[in-house]
Amino acid sequence: MTRVNLALLVLIGCVAALPWFGGAYALRLGTIACLYAILALSWNVVGGFAGYPSFATAAFFGFGAYATGVLLGDGLPLPLAILATLVASLLLAGLLGAVLLRLRGHYFAIASLSLVEVLRELVNNATDLTGGGMGLNIPLASGSGILADATFFFYAMWGLLLATALMVIAVSASKLGFGLACIRQNETAANMVGLNCTLYKSIAFGLSAGFVGAAGGLYAAWVHYIDPSDVFDILYSVKPIVMALMGGLGSPLGVVCGAFLYLGLEEVVWRNYIQIHSGVLGVLIVMLLLLLPHGLISLRPGMFRRKAKHV
Amino acid sequence: MSGPKLARCWFVFAAAVFAAVGCGASASPVAAEDIVRFGAPLPLTGPLAPEGIKQQQGYDLWAEQANKAGGILVGGKKYKVEIVYADYQSNTPRAVQTSEQMITQDNVNFLFGAFGSGAAKAASTVSEKYKVPTIAAAASSSQVYDQGYKYLFGTFTPNDTLTTPLTEIIKSQAPDVKKVAILARNDLFPLAIAQEMEKSAKANGFEVVYFEKYAIGTLDHSATLSQMKSLAPQWIFITGYTNDLLLIRKQMVDQEMKAGVVTMIAGPAYQDFIDTAGESAENITSASWWHPAERYAGKDIFGSTENFVKLFRDKYHSDPDYGQASAALCGALFQLAIERAGSLDRDKVRDELAKLDVVTFFGPVKFGPNGQINSLQPPVFQIQGAKPVVLFPPAIKQGELKLGVN
Amino acid sequence: MLVAQVLVNALVLGCLYACIAIGFSLVWGVLNVINLIHGSFIVLGAYLAWGLYQSLAIPPWYALPVAAPLFFVFGYLLQRLLLNRVIAAPVLVTLTLTFGLDLILNNAMIYFFKADYRKLSLHPSMGSVSLFDVVVPVDRLIATASALALTAVLYLVLRRLRVGRAIVAVRLDRDAAVLMGVDVKSIYAIAFGFGAALAGCAGVLMALIFPISPLTSSTYLGKAFVVCVLGGLGSVSGALAGGLLLALVEGVGSTLIGPAHATTLSFALLIVFLIVRPHGLLGRKGFE
Repeated sequence: MTRVNLALLVLIGCVAALPWFGGAYALRLGTIACLYAILALSWNVVGGFAGYPSFATAAFFGFGAYATGVLLGDGLPLPLAILATLVASLLLAGLLGAVLLRLRGHYFAIASLSLVEVLRELVNNATDLTGGGMGLNIPLASGSGILADATFFFYAMWGLLLATALMVIAVSASKLGFGLACIRQNETAANMVGLNCTLYKSIAFGLSAGFVGAAGGLYAAWVHYIDPSDVFDILYSVKPIVMALMGGLGSPLGVVCGAFLYLGLEEVVWRNYIQIHSGVLGVLIVMLLLLLPHGLISLRPGMFRRKAKHV
Repeated sequence: MSGPKLARCWFVFAAAVFAAVGCGASASPVAAEDIVRFGAPLPLTGPLAPEGIKQQQGYDLWAEQANKAGGILVGGKKYKVEIVYADYQSNTPRAVQTSEQMITQDNVNFLFGAFGSGAAKAASTVSEKYKVPTIAAAASSSQVYDQGYKYLFGTFTPNDTLTTPLTEIIKSQAPDVKKVAILARNDLFPLAIAQEMEKSAKANGFEVVYFEKYAIGTLDHSATLSQMKSLAPQWIFITGYTNDLLLIRKQMVDQEMKAGVVTMIAGPAYQDFIDTAGESAENITSASWWHPAERYAGKDIFGSTENFVKLFRDKYHSDPDYGQASAALCGALFQLAIERAGSLDRDKVRDELAKLDVVTFFGPVKFGPNGQINSLQPPVFQIQGAKPVVLFPPAIKQGELKLGVN
Repeated sequence: MLVAQVLVNALVLGCLYACIAIGFSLVWGVLNVINLIHGSFIVLGAYLAWGLYQSLAIPPWYALPVAAPLFFVFGYLLQRLLLNRVIAAPVLVTLTLTFGLDLILNNAMIYFFKADYRKLSLHPSMGSVSLFDVVVPVDRLIATASALALTAVLYLVLRRLRVGRAIVAVRLDRDAAVLMGVDVKSIYAIAFGFGAALAGCAGVLMALIFPISPLTSSTYLGKAFVVCVLGGLGSVSGALAGGLLLALVEGVGSTLIGPAHATTLSFALLIVFLIVRPHGLLGRKGFE
């Protein structure tokens, strides 16, 4: 366990102390912060480790939201529904990945983007199962008071974040992580030395989607009502990328820091500049890419500079 | 550190400080004496903006009238009305977040529901959790009220109260109409009402030859309309919001589609629909939840329907349609409930709302057990000579159904 | 006859799709940059046409020569000052950068113009023509003819003018072009300028037919994507082929399985093409 990864776990541990410092609204922010961190960490596996620019995060987020929504509607208890969603997302992504990951560069980006559109329209049209454009009602998972409800979901999302972080740390320390790094640097060469690239990429894609799906499911249970254009929103694909770029591509600690920083900025802008908030996000992205292409993590002196992966 | 690195550090530092300060600073207004605050999350920008602005007009008119009379009487003291607006940009998750923010940060006493069935339903969970009485001014689909919530009320009657009288009129006055084609926007209200229409049509012996949904944001309907045309329906029923309906109507004219009856919900009630569609709006039928021609002697602050219409005309220089009327009604209903409860206690006001059985300028108001109003008879009307002419209910009928839409 | 009507609809719509996509295809093919601002350029062009019509009663076809140079300059400067810095960066960076720029432009449009839909209604209205039971609205015909004219102009520029040959050279082999003395940086900016100009002109034509709102920009962008992948990058004929194929699939699909599925079908087709034939119908193999 490297020092950076330890720092990551410590950071996540600190976040768990939030309920002592804030009320329901702070908990809401905290839940979203954990959600963003999960999305960013997961994306990092396929985008940062493997180097494949995936825009499919929203597709699996939406898939997870609807899967859990439907399962909860059928009476399954929440933990079981989330677990089932995680496995389903993992498998779906693994299968899709085997096909889509044959593409590279631009084409992969577009294919992953189209996945979002296709899944959204499929859900939109399966009116009997998902309610289609009319949205899906999700029964209230815990009937108690507001604070108890908010605390429950905060800890649930936090728990998922911890699981995602452990997964990412495990991957980066394992042969899979090493293989992904090889693929990122030169896939053709990796192929030539005998690495089963398709398998590794698919597993990475699956892992990145599993926790995103579970997070989507938890999100659905939290908000009680979802509809296709909300959960299959392309911004759920783009924001994790911005967070990862902000924090430092490839570094889990950087990515989580990027997620928290991004949320802070988003809240500020939305609170005070609601009319132009997406414009401000755009400015942020542009400045980030022009001024800080290696993310926050590249600012740390000394030992971390070695670990900064180049974009 | 070198130049560019220093610049980068400053950038990040500034961003972090910005974020921390922003999160810390909250936007709650200074608490003043004797003010009752209503939260109104609205889509003031985005595709639903035209509808959102109408609601704002209704709320503002009511607030102005209430404050002119000194405020709302709460157990002996008069409280001024203040409405807190926020724009959720026609985005449903934002509507939910805005509603919560209004309760927790802006300290509103009561809420007006978000616009439209979808957003109203989503945001109602927040009202229910925080136990804040909410009246939705523009949510008609019964699906909005099926979650068993106690704090949500709505001033639009269920969708079938629009489709049933419409179907009956066509059946009795247009015997040649046999085939119906239905095209619905894939969204909560438009799809729900289209499904009601299908049920109603089949129950009355019509043949539904076409029933399809179009995606939100569709720009080109030529293929759909061509197919519909080839099936030669005598009655064409389209649902969507104003923008969709205008677009579809234009493309129908492009394709030279003619039918005996063309019904569109929900746009033709608005003057801007009639103005923009011009000649092509002639003889289009529609239904809505209120019409300025109605005559009710209300016990609310507006009194009679004519008085409401006059006040609206004086302020906005145009006639009110059901959107603005419903919004003003919500304000007036809160006022009645608060005055009867004699306090701003949310549970007491909620109970008074549930007990309400009163005639208002909008019509008789009584909420059913699920919170949705069930006491109205929505009017059916047709655009004749660039003006909406009421065909039903008989008490306020202004004209007869004209067949033939080009 | 339904079949004939559907085919004619598709033909007309296909040319419009091609017009939307041609600028996008050029930029992608030459600069290897997926320009996510493209949709917003189109909408901005539509607003320009609308504004000119509302205030000065200038009909859209006269707005074309106004739009083209304006957008060319805008695109040229954008590329020269901003995009050039990341021109060699991986796809993630360029995609995200153009996404960010698009957010800015889109938000600016919503702020200044409001998100309400505007309609450019010509007075008097132009009506429709019908031949053997097939009806085509005249405004679409004019837009289609203009779209074809624009693509023809681009084709001639690429084939006949020096700057056009230089653009094609850079697209075929950047390094060889440098060796031949082509100022690649300048060509990139010019190509991007052309792309922006074409988008602006496409917007002017769209204003005739479709409602105008910043919210429609993602719809246009989505169509441009699919057309480029289906037809192949960087070539005029590719855009036309892609546009016609897309319109056909949408029209036939809509008739057979309902309009709700038309979008799904087009994106599913996109994915299939990416996997099976990524260079599209008329593209060149091996060009990534």
